[in-house]
Amino acid sequence: MNIATAPENRSHYIKGAGNLSPRIKWLRDYYFKGAERSWNNEFTCWTTGTPWDVQFNEMTYYIVPEVYTLMQTLRGSYRQAARAVALHSDFWTWSIPERRAWFVKEVMVKYVPKEILPGDLIAGARFNVQTSMCLTESEQKHLDRRLLGKNGARAAVIKFHEHGYGNCGATSGHLVPGHERILKLGWKGVYAELEEQYSRLSPVDKKGRRGAQLRAMMTSATMARDLAAEYASLCRDLAQSEADTERRKELEGMAANLERVPWNPPETWWEAVQALWLNHMLIMSDENYPGPGISFGRVDQYLLPYWRRSISDGMSPEFGKEILKCFWVHANTAYDANIRTGNQGITAGFGQLLTLSGLGPEGRDMTNELTYVFLDVIDDMSPILEPKPNVRLHRNSPEELLSRIVDMISSSQGAPFLLNFDERSMAGMMLEARRAGITHLINEKNVHDYAPVGCLENTMVGNDRSGTVDNNLNLLKAVELALTGGRDLVPAEDPVTGAKRPITQDGPETGDATSFDNFEQFFDAYARQTAYIVKHCVEIHEKSEEVRRDFFPTPYLSNFVKGCAEKGMDVTEGGAEISFTTLEAVTFATAVDSLLAIKYLVFDRKACSMAELIQALRDNWQGHDVLHALAKNKAPKYGRDDDEADEMALRVMRLWCDECWKHKTVATGRQYRPGMLSWNYWAGDGYVMAASPDGRPRGQFLSNAICPSNGADINGPTSNSNSVGKALGGRSAEGEWDDYVNLLPNGASHTITFNPSILKDGEHREKFKAFLRGYCENGGTALQINMLDPDMLREAQKHPRDYRHLLVRVTGYNAYFTSIGRELQDEVIARVSHGKF
Amino acid sequence: MNKTDEELSGLVLEIQRMSTEDGPGIRSTVFLKGCPLSCIWCHNPESISPRPQLHWTGSRCIGCRLCIGACRKGVLSFNEGQGVSIARDRCDGCGVCADECPSTALEMLGRNWGVSELAAELAKDRAWFEKSGGGVTLSGGEVTMQTEFSVMLLSELQGAGIHTAIDTCGQCAFAALEKLLPHSDLVLYDIKEIDPEKHKRFTGQDNRRILDNLLLLAEKIRQNGNSTVLWIRTPVIPEATEREDNIKGIGRFIAEHLNGVAVRWELCAFNNLCRDKYSRLGLEWRYAGKSLLSMQDMERIAAWARESGVDAQIVSWSGGTRIDNGTAEIIRPIANAAVKPC
Repeated sequence: MNIATAPENRSHYIKGAGNLSPRIKWLRDYYFKGAERSWNNEFTCWTTGTPWDVQFNEMTYYIVPEVYTLMQTLRGSYRQAARAVALHSDFWTWSIPERRAWFVKEVMVKYVPKEILPGDLIAGARFNVQTSMCLTESEQKHLDRRLLGKNGARAAVIKFHEHGYGNCGATSGHLVPGHERILKLGWKGVYAELEEQYSRLSPVDKKGRRGAQLRAMMTSATMARDLAAEYASLCRDLAQSEADTERRKELEGMAANLERVPWNPPETWWEAVQALWLNHMLIMSDENYPGPGISFGRVDQYLLPYWRRSISDGMSPEFGKEILKCFWVHANTAYDANIRTGNQGITAGFGQLLTLSGLGPEGRDMTNELTYVFLDVIDDMSPILEPKPNVRLHRNSPEELLSRIVDMISSSQGAPFLLNFDERSMAGMMLEARRAGITHLINEKNVHDYAPVGCLENTMVGNDRSGTVDNNLNLLKAVELALTGGRDLVPAEDPVTGAKRPITQDGPETGDATSFDNFEQFFDAYARQTAYIVKHCVEIHEKSEEVRRDFFPTPYLSNFVKGCAEKGMDVTEGGAEISFTTLEAVTFATAVDSLLAIKYLVFDRKACSMAELIQALRDNWQGHDVLHALAKNKAPKYGRDDDEADEMALRVMRLWCDECWKHKTVATGRQYRPGMLSWNYWAGDGYVMAASPDGRPRGQFLSNAICPSNGADINGPTSNSNSVGKALGGRSAEGEWDDYVNLLPNGASHTITFNPSILKDGEHREKFKAFLRGYCENGGTALQINMLDPDMLREAQKHPRDYRHLLVRVTGYNAYFTSIGRELQDEVIARVSHGKF
Repeated sequence: MNKTDEELSGLVLEIQRMSTEDGPGIRSTVFLKGCPLSCIWCHNPESISPRPQLHWTGSRCIGCRLCIGACRKGVLSFNEGQGVSIARDRCDGCGVCADECPSTALEMLGRNWGVSELAAELAKDRAWFEKSGGGVTLSGGEVTMQTEFSVMLLSELQGAGIHTAIDTCGQCAFAALEKLLPHSDLVLYDIKEIDPEKHKRFTGQDNRRILDNLLLLAEKIRQNGNSTVLWIRTPVIPEATEREDNIKGIGRFIAEHLNGVAVRWELCAFNNLCRDKYSRLGLEWRYAGKSLLSMQDMERIAAWARESGVDAQIVSWSGGTRIDNGTAEIIRPIANAAVKPC
């Protein structure tokens, strides 16, 4: 989720949107007016009217530490803003899922205002809501005790974060709903299936939890139908008063669409896009959270029949794209949720991800004409944040696709999409199938159907919820605990008051590190501390996982996830056929480099004793200049294609992954699986975690996901990529897809910053295409391509020590940016700003 | 270049990976140390000496002075405000100080690599070479100053199926080129200046041997059925090689003698990014104050090349050009390159 950069924050040249009709240009410009708009999609809040009622589900923000201090405020202000909904007379006799299903539907269909923006071709505008928990007084008390009590989930996660372990919490979204199935059946068909399931329940089951769940899902299954009817009648009304005949026709067309879909299966492109939008947006309503990794999956595959049909019926491709562009604008209004706190609200960590291209059965490439339609729309609409595209590449991706992608990168100063790499990704999916004993659900015949969630978190589609951002653990904490024998190195601090927390024996006693004779002893201690931090994270997460199971059903979403109806279980209860939860390791390279530094400084070079190193870290390196310089500059680092250093990376990887696979959630039986996504934690937690042996002082960024530490990557993109591939397991006879090994089924975020000169002309663009093909062979699961940015270079001018390895290339001539004189630096900045190489 | 019992080793200045300018595809370029020419514009002054050299990067220095104590020959001194000075006449390049330096402010330029060790290092990027039609380029310095090592290395790389290229200035005994040729899929050959007098003035040597070698090389390539590809490269240097008579003269030479053999003629624009390297090596650089050529200059020069009688298709130019927006142009020489240590 690290790809969001608000366009207005970029000071340098950036491609403007292109090829937009007056309609789309207006909608797009209107969107970018942000808080100045008279219409927006800000949260509206709704209550049962009871005095104990609460709307805000704080657990979904447990993975956003910036929000910890705001929780009580948000909880209170949503309550204050909430308007009462007249309840059904039987409301309080229902189960929690039935109450919740009814309440959300009632709010969306009858209470939330419906509007159509000028020229818009897609209906479904407001979807950001905070709806009542729908709890009785005793249920709410029970919930509050488990959340807010002394041993409650909130206190536990705040402590976990304050002490530098990371964060965790049962978070919304982060899955690919089964859109294809819902479109094909229409909600009518889904409803019929639910009725059928329900009729087969025993009378006892009907009265029990399963019956309640199915009834709730049935209520939810009619939500889109009833909302579409409201919008249809609005379109009819607008059409009547519309003077412009063209627009009147459009509004009548929209009404006709909405009168059919999404209750009936769509037949045309316009109907399909309309249905997909309503189906999708209501998931965000159901979860009360805007766009949290609610991903669309392989849109160029399952929407293709509708596109082809409409094209053959005479729809112009331009009009088809126009419809998609309206869809784009709608997706971006997710950010309106907290619009008054800034243009992107509290967090830009959304990720309505769509997937393009990739492998199909028998190794076939699945790129088609719709793939290019989507790429055209992305190109025309960018820079814009949502939906986030992810293009799947593989060894046989067509030249035409690569050319298109490279052209888009070269005109956008950085890729307007993430790239996912199929072979490595699928090897990881095969691994999780084997380790979890679900090869009947993921195997060589269907693994190509996977799609990334949020940014790059690989899952299957329509039957899989794998909690891809629920656990975020700083591996570096285990290094710290190994140095101290299980205690914080420096006291944790309250982020608001600065009050220091006492140091206690938290991890296992792994011995006095100052008495270790060799590095292996230290590594043993590190291994035991790693086992502890993983287990600790699992225990903290369990609290919110259990609370969610009991109090936060999402029956509408459950309709999109195979397994829920069959088992009569909500997706939050672990109803999905494939129900992992993911442990995302943060600070990988910082941890690896720290181990390398300890080995180098204390045991190999003997530049200091362990006691001196520990003291230097307690002093945040101050007064230890020589040791600090050695740690930073002379100790080996991961990311340079140095086999010895990369072996340490693989050792660390295998160790923590093995620990991860040992755990399951108790409440919901979800197997833990490993991944590496660091969102923004690697920046924020840099201020929380003590100085590290790799030479990083407290307050400096940690390493991001699977990337080398900042500044460590001195041998360029190929060596960086080779290191990443090796850390994932490389390629060998152990491989689970061909000879590809991937220890991280979730995938790993990898960002490389390139010099723009790599794309300066046709010959170089061919070389860049070849780079991507090489990455397929040697690299990781996912790649974000950034281009050297003038802001970064200016930072490097100000803080040369932090950027000493920043290499600039002007047509093949390399120089370390910080070692060329000021005037030359200015020239390079000017060059980058103007894209002139 | 030392011959040991087991294996040859070569003195390598730098390995640049994902190089996109030294031949086709994605390449790793090996910069060898040692060059027989001393071009006044040289972009890699640290590659001229055939021995390891010490240099000091002020922006990295933390002022710890460990190096001063480490040097047993009293070569180094430290002055407040100026940093470390190296008495180069007394430095024998033992490297102890660079080893001691915690911040890599002091570094030894040039490291010995064994043939197999280096070949294995280079093969790490095989996937990228294969996907891009790239490979390894031996550059310098001058590849023919370490011929024996280079031949072994190239043949090991070729044996491993990796595309090979050499980049030569041609100032050598023809025997050296003759040995290298069978192991090189591509030769990048410099013609810097067509006028022998001027060539001598710019590079320290006249161009007779270079042009003779080129003719012999072209003949060999023809005899071998063009199994080696030849590219000609010309550095376009302000107030030196950028002249119309030079460009057209080189063009006529190519047209007359290399027709059908030279498939590409690259005009490489002057580059000034190396300026600070000179100061780190304690050298004056005549081009320190020169700005880059403009895009128009390069277009004009490329037009001369295309009019010179060569097949216009083979002419290309590359390199950074001046940005004429008033801020980027560099005309001032830097007063003092030493960066204050703190």
